[in-house]
Amino acid sequence: MLLNIANIQHFSVGDGPGIRTTVFFKGCNLRCPWCHNPETLSFEKTRLSYPHLDKTEWCGEMKTVEDVLSQVLEDKDFYDESGGGVTLSGGEVMLSADGASVLAKRLCEEGVSVYIDTAGCVPYSRFLKLNDFSDGYLFDFKTPFADKYTSIGGDLETVCSNIKSLIKDNKKIIIRIPLIPGFNTDAESVNMSCKILSELGADEVSLLPFHRTGSGKYQAMGKSYSYKDTKPLDSKITEEIKAEFSKYFNVKVEA
Amino acid sequence: MSTKELRKEFLQRPSGTFSPDWFRFSGYRQDFSLPVRELRTKGIEALFTKTTPIIYKNDLIVGNSRCLYVNEDEKLLRNVSSTVNEIGKRNFLTNSDHYSPSYPHTVKVGITGLIEEIHESKKNHSSDDEKCKRLDLMESTLRAFITMIGNYKKEAERSMSDVAYDKEKLAFIIDNCDALMHRAPQTFSEALQLVWFCHTAFLMEERYAMALGRMDMYLYPFYKKDKESGVLTREKAVELLENVFIKIDSTDVVNICIGGTDTDGNCTVNELSECIIDAVRNCNIPGPNLSARIAENTPDDFLLRCIDSIGTGLGYPALMSDRINITALSRFGYAKEDIYNYSMVGCIENFITGMQPPWSDGRFDAPRYFEYLLNNGIGSFDNTVSIDTGDIGTIGSMKEFMNRFEEQLRYGADQYFALFNARNDRINQEFFEEPFLSCFCHDCIERGLDINGGGSRYPSVHGAVLMGVGTVADSLSAVEKVIFIDKAATLSELRDALRDNFEGHEQLRKLLLDAPKYGNNDDFADKYAVWFLDYLSSLFDRYRTRDGGYIYVAMAANVQNIYAGRHIAATPDGRRQGEPLSDAASPTYGRDVRGATSTFNSVTKPDYGKAACGTVINQKFSPSMFRGEKRQKLLALIKAYFKKGGQEIQINATSREVLQEAMNDPEKYKNLVVRVSGFSDYYVRLAREVQLDILNRTQHE
Repeated sequence: MLLNIANIQHFSVGDGPGIRTTVFFKGCNLRCPWCHNPETLSFEKTRLSYPHLDKTEWCGEMKTVEDVLSQVLEDKDFYDESGGGVTLSGGEVMLSADGASVLAKRLCEEGVSVYIDTAGCVPYSRFLKLNDFSDGYLFDFKTPFADKYTSIGGDLETVCSNIKSLIKDNKKIIIRIPLIPGFNTDAESVNMSCKILSELGADEVSLLPFHRTGSGKYQAMGKSYSYKDTKPLDSKITEEIKAEFSKYFNVKVEA
Repeated sequence: MSTKELRKEFLQRPSGTFSPDWFRFSGYRQDFSLPVRELRTKGIEALFTKTTPIIYKNDLIVGNSRCLYVNEDEKLLRNVSSTVNEIGKRNFLTNSDHYSPSYPHTVKVGITGLIEEIHESKKNHSSDDEKCKRLDLMESTLRAFITMIGNYKKEAERSMSDVAYDKEKLAFIIDNCDALMHRAPQTFSEALQLVWFCHTAFLMEERYAMALGRMDMYLYPFYKKDKESGVLTREKAVELLENVFIKIDSTDVVNICIGGTDTDGNCTVNELSECIIDAVRNCNIPGPNLSARIAENTPDDFLLRCIDSIGTGLGYPALMSDRINITALSRFGYAKEDIYNYSMVGCIENFITGMQPPWSDGRFDAPRYFEYLLNNGIGSFDNTVSIDTGDIGTIGSMKEFMNRFEEQLRYGADQYFALFNARNDRINQEFFEEPFLSCFCHDCIERGLDINGGGSRYPSVHGAVLMGVGTVADSLSAVEKVIFIDKAATLSELRDALRDNFEGHEQLRKLLLDAPKYGNNDDFADKYAVWFLDYLSSLFDRYRTRDGGYIYVAMAANVQNIYAGRHIAATPDGRRQGEPLSDAASPTYGRDVRGATSTFNSVTKPDYGKAACGTVINQKFSPSMFRGEKRQKLLALIKAYFKKGGQEIQINATSREVLQEAMNDPEKYKNLVVRVSGFSDYYVRLAREVQLDILNRTQHE
């Protein structure tokens, strides 16, 4: 079984509990214009060039499950000490659910915790392939409005039904909301998100304030970044949004 | 608040010239016909008795060496110094400083107790005139020391009439001085004052890097008793400790050791350990070099307190693995309880507290030996000479290359040791006795012998500081890959490229740079770091110091890797001539690019049980790692690192300045990883506006 891997990042400390290694899969079905990881969007190999470092890199490599496994198991001692493990991310890992589930199963056999980082715009049948081999989900929730979800290639209804199903199936789920100025940080979006998510039964929410973090990669890919000039969210606004979410959920703001 | 004010007072230098020699001379001139050891003793007595103490208005614990400033003619002072220098002094290489005194004993018996021990010893050695004379000289220095304490008392009494002074503080000082002149300390403040008087006396003798040792062990009984009886609060203890630490000069390196275990392996962390961290943290100055011994049973709370202090950017304490250090020290035949009571001197050097002569060490520039191997024993950059290990045309395999390199290193180690020995032997031990220092070393008084003349319980040890493990491992990895596996170049081509400092050989340099590098959990390169410590420690294991002690090896650098690099030709790892060597025991900066866990997987491969002196692993973490739930992750990372066999770690919390510098010099900061948002990335690969975003975010935090 070959996996289409964008990157394997050791010492990940923001993708779930403890010290983790994040395996980024290539390929995504969404096209969020603020995306932080544009090099993972395509299933094809992607070229990144950094002229000021005299460096060109290719993102994307077909790797065997055993290759990936041996690389992530290098850090087993750190997972054990910290209650960490491996996070499968992307791109959209669920588009590679067959391969990802083989990897996740092997990790379970090795006693390593698996988290799945997904935007969840896939049929629930794909989740069923991973449910038995994962300890939890980092589940993106981009907007409470169907038309806005459609504009980035997603589907609100699918997202909601998947969250509901995961909760019904007793899976640990952390909702991750990127706070994107002009997209979902207005009062209406915030209130509506709280309403939908609390009705679905979510209890844990992570807020990820927007930063212009992907622009180096867009440059390296020779692409323009429509959020290049968007200012980071004012910390006061972040705090206000946090306060609102805190009425319903256990909330954390990720740096 | 008073700590800050005290620092201001301390930083105001008195008028005149700093001249300990002036006082020594005033002792010598009393009678130049005296035998030299007596003459020297007169010098020490004069330092202690003829100086006028300075008491600061914010002093609670008194003692500083500013009293050695004199207002005399410069030329006169130069002439005086010239005479004093002819009489001579020990220096670092001849065991003068970098010492951890026997304070645990001193605070138990006091100065008066030491004098009683001298009397007792004289009775036991009554038939040995030599020893009795030596013991008399030790006693004279202690008596002079008591006079110095008395002078502080008098100065405090005199200041009572000065309205600028707080009478309550002066009364406190007077009481402490008075007690220490007549008996052993009974309270925390008396014990702390005694230790600081001793330290001050060592400074007046011009000793440097004198450690304070395991303060949380030997002061704890006083702390506990005083707290129980209600005469001391935790806050007061922190204030008193600050009052001491703030008087450490920025140019000095005063090691303070906390944490660890007792002989039975029980954790010894206590409330005083925490007070010491707090005091060092509050002082926020470079002088007090705090080291924390971390054992498997060290509580998380304590380690987190250390992490919090490190996270301020101060970087203290350095974290030391008790398990590895105790394993390393167990090779030399020291008694178990003496090993467990080890502390550090200078930066990280492991020391059997108060039981061996002062430390010495030197630098062994391992990467230098590539140029000798490739150029028939002649240094290609700096006109230096080693042995000719033969024409490189006859080297057909990596194994043969390693044999030649080992031959070069063996020669280098032999030469290093011969030069050290020659320097050390030049001192006639009998003429350079240390009567005062000997009183703070077991078992000098009991044996009636000098600290450097057989009095110390254990012989002198010397540290050979191995430079450039990263440079050497990366170089060997590159040679194996490029020359012997890929056969992309010959050794002659490599030699020419290094000799030309890669000018006109850019293609070969690129191949060398692309070879596997130490610090990425790749055994191809990492095996050479393992070999580095194994082989070099086995070389230095062959030598003994003049009095039969061992040579410890270290992998540390301070900033010496920069200076050493200036005189070393280009190396096969792609490093250009004159550039710094890799730092301490760390991989070469910018080349461990696979995350902290991979770095730690690599750097825990060498067997540090062979590095008895100690090692330094410098790591940088962004300030956000010190907050919130990430703080717990950092804790876990450090604990796993020690479980895996790491010996030491010191952490920089990345400052705004570093980030700014990284923007100006991205090549140098290639491996600085920052959490961005939703992912982490290399700081220098981010677009400029992103860098600015993060820079600004950091400032808010």
